[in-house]
Amino acid sequence: MLRNKWLALVIGLAFWAAYFYFIDKSIMEGQGLPVAANLMPK
Amino acid sequence: MKKQTLHVSLGLLAVLLLVLIPQYGFAAGDEVAAVLEGAPKPSRLDYPMIWGISGRTVVWSMAQMHLFLAAFVLSVPLFSLATEFMGTVTGDDRFDNMAHEFMKISMAAYSLTALVGGGLTLSLFLFYPQMMGYMLKVFRGQVLVYAALFGFESITLYIYYYSWDALRRGNRKWFHMSIGLTLNTIGLTLMFIANAWATFMMSPAGVDPATGAVTGTIWEVTRNPLWNPLNLHRFLANIAYGGAIVGGYAAYMFLAEKDPVKKAHYDWMGYTSNFIAILGFLPLPFAGYWLMAEIYAYSQQMGITAMGGILAWLFIIQAVLIGTIMMAANYYLWSGLMRTDRGAHYARYVKYIAVVIVGGFLVWVTPHTLLLTSQEIQQLGGTHHKLLGPLGIMPAKNTAVNLMLVFTFMSFQMFYRSSRIPTVSWAKAGNMFIVALYVIGCINIVGAGLYGYITPTVYKVGASVPQVVTTLTIIIGSVIIDVFRLRGSKPETVHWGRMSERSQYALFVLPVAFTWLMGLMGYIRSSLRTHWHVYTIMKDNSAEAYIPTIGQAGNTITAITLGFMAIMVFVFWLSRLGATRQDETEAPS
Repeated sequence: MLRNKWLALVIGLAFWAAYFYFIDKSIMEGQGLPVAANLMPK
Repeated sequence: MKKQTLHVSLGLLAVLLLVLIPQYGFAAGDEVAAVLEGAPKPSRLDYPMIWGISGRTVVWSMAQMHLFLAAFVLSVPLFSLATEFMGTVTGDDRFDNMAHEFMKISMAAYSLTALVGGGLTLSLFLFYPQMMGYMLKVFRGQVLVYAALFGFESITLYIYYYSWDALRRGNRKWFHMSIGLTLNTIGLTLMFIANAWATFMMSPAGVDPATGAVTGTIWEVTRNPLWNPLNLHRFLANIAYGGAIVGGYAAYMFLAEKDPVKKAHYDWMGYTSNFIAILGFLPLPFAGYWLMAEIYAYSQQMGITAMGGILAWLFIIQAVLIGTIMMAANYYLWSGLMRTDRGAHYARYVKYIAVVIVGGFLVWVTPHTLLLTSQEIQQLGGTHHKLLGPLGIMPAKNTAVNLMLVFTFMSFQMFYRSSRIPTVSWAKAGNMFIVALYVIGCINIVGAGLYGYITPTVYKVGASVPQVVTTLTIIIGSVIIDVFRLRGSKPETVHWGRMSERSQYALFVLPVAFTWLMGLMGYIRSSLRTHWHVYTIMKDNSAEAYIPTIGQAGNTITAITLGFMAIMVFVFWLSRLGATRQDETEAPS
């Protein structure tokens, strides 16, 4: 079992960053809004 | 007795099935031919003038007052049943006693709800006879179903309340809870039917768009575009509202009681009520967002009237009231840290949470468009402030409200953690995993908000969904990890009653702000129809078919709120009076 709290923090930061990246991307694309497009208003 | 209870339960079940089966409850088909004549076109003379009384103000006041009372009496049985269930599962009588006390408060308000409902019906038929005639044609037999349901609601409510002690233990308790479940099913069905009437007036369906003649079944009329968003919004709002009102009652009793045991009971009741209010309140902005999105989808004109037109300024007042609710709820939670000896350990974080809550509140109340004189516009160099202007648009508001919700949850989390010492070996590592969730989650909420500034409008709206999901992930994720982290934890004594009197006033703020808010938002929802009784179908040709000024609307809403508060004080006083016994020694010999 993981006991080192700082290691847990680093793993947590990486895990949640990856989680939110994929969740955000899938939600936006699910709404028909591709996030890779050039989005700056012209 | 067992036979009797079985008969009563079977009877109730049969009644419920009858009213819920659509072909019986929602009589359709055959009646359609009878109502093909279209919506009436009343002239100014068709609206009765009675002693110069403003019909609209009378109906507005009665409808709003009925809604306040109905929201309260429909929500209390919901969380009363949940509390009763908790008491049964845990075997802790305190839950059961509290659930019973919740019901006691709502009982006093129930007859008032019916009374005001009757007053509303009379005033509607009196001042708007043609409109009511059309509504009856559209909803046909459903009106009778509503009346029948109201009767069943009364019967089940009285049985549920008065059988509490008779059906308190063993299998009888489960029977009692099944009566509570029946009561709540009927109550919710009543609300859904009334919602169908209100939303039909905003987004009519099942009628001919040109004439208003009924062309669809009663189900098509009921299931209009705004029905389900309003159902969800009112369901959540009712829970938050009911929680806030019984919290006000608990605060009233806490301040009035001198006995420390009773004070401890009412402190616990206040805490639980505040928890219920927050529980209903946290998802409420998202339900409101869905309702507003559906309003825009149904009619852009209606959406713009709400958020970009004459009613837009009321959303700033809404922000002030919601900010007040959040600050009061947080203040109460922070005060609660003094109930445990470990609470001081968490008190040092309060100032940081306060910064986020107050900062979020300030962003939320920042208007996009200011009411300026030409001189002020010249000084500003335009109609928008360079620094504050960007805070007036939705990405900033969404970011602010999501952060406020996250940090409100954190206040609650601090309290439940302060009463338990974790014993699992990975407790600190688990805590860090939650810290990481908060950090990344907040960055994601802010990032999605900033993303809205560099993208077209459709992305601004779209980016609000990941923000909501992030907030819910933080809350649900933290609770799940904490459930495992606090398994087998060492409980700390919670000194119920060890609470400042000052904190109880925060519990008074909640029902006042909630009532005001509901009055305000109800007015906005109803005003979206502008000069239509039924939007685009039946015109309002009365002399009062205009949107009142913000000041006039504000005064009316405030007067109704004060009236409701007076009723609530009366209800609280009645509940206390019922429990008061005259001292035997005072009796004349």
